[in-house]
Amino acid sequence: MNRIFILTPLIVLLIICIFSLVYLLSGKDPNKPPSALLNKDVPIFESSSLYNAKDIIKTKDIKNKKTLINFFASWCSPCKIEHPLFFEIRKKYPELYLLGFNHKDPTSDAKKYLKDDGNPYDFVGVDSDGLIALEFGVFGLPETYLINEDGKIIYKFMGPITMDILKNEIEPLL
Amino acid sequence: MKLSHFYKFLHIIILSFVFFTFKIFAVENIDERVKKLTLELRCMTCQNQSIYDSDAEFSNDIKKIVKNKLKAGESERDIKKFLVERYGEYILFRPLMNYNNIFLWSFPFILLIIGLFFVLIKSKGNKV
Repeated sequence: MNRIFILTPLIVLLIICIFSLVYLLSGKDPNKPPSALLNKDVPIFESSSLYNAKDIIKTKDIKNKKTLINFFASWCSPCKIEHPLFFEIRKKYPELYLLGFNHKDPTSDAKKYLKDDGNPYDFVGVDSDGLIALEFGVFGLPETYLINEDGKIIYKFMGPITMDILKNEIEPLL
Repeated sequence: MKLSHFYKFLHIIILSFVFFTFKIFAVENIDERVKKLTLELRCMTCQNQSIYDSDAEFSNDIKKIVKNKLKAGESERDIKKFLVERYGEYILFRPLMNYNNIFLWSFPFILLIIGLFFVLIKSKGNKV
């Protein structure tokens, strides 16, 4: 009987340790929680083009086509790091629709950024007040979303995309 | 005649006072509610800080949204639901009471029951 008294707390402690270890080894970063919108419909949005305010893009415009949505800004240094990769994607997957959302950026700065570094996007929407980012659950730039033909978010990445992420995580979904 | 003018004036003064008092009270009340709610929300871009305590851009945006929604008459529950739908449960410091979190909420009580059970058995054993 005494053995049970000694062993029970140890067993409970062991179970807690195993749970903690499994979580730590799962590679989950607590600072990068999974998106609440993953496998859900793309949020409803409407945005005007950076280059022509009359040119509007809406949620329904990206239906039936695989879309890569990227939130970026000229003031965001990590965005500059990943920027060249979008040209690679553009070249390798010409059928993929690239939609950039310029987040809380003065229009002139955004235009200058895309003129200097190049514009890989099919459409650059303006998100000056950050409300589109809010609908997507963005909390830091850059963030990238992959939307399938059914209009569902099938992938989300927080931070700058690297070649490894592109090859191992995004390309298998394209 | 003069007295009636005085009463009218007094009436206006009192009504204005009441109106502005209510107005100030309403603003303070909203601010208090914003504080209460944002203290329960996690700043996603900070290290273990509430949205209320943080000055990060993300937190300031959420504070604005919470304030606007409270002003629009939305309940705290609706606002939390709105945020959880977009940012996940991670944005809440206190996990939701739902089926997914049942183990999390019930585990301390399970431990307590196991502990009490052993204490009971031990005390009975000591009596014998």
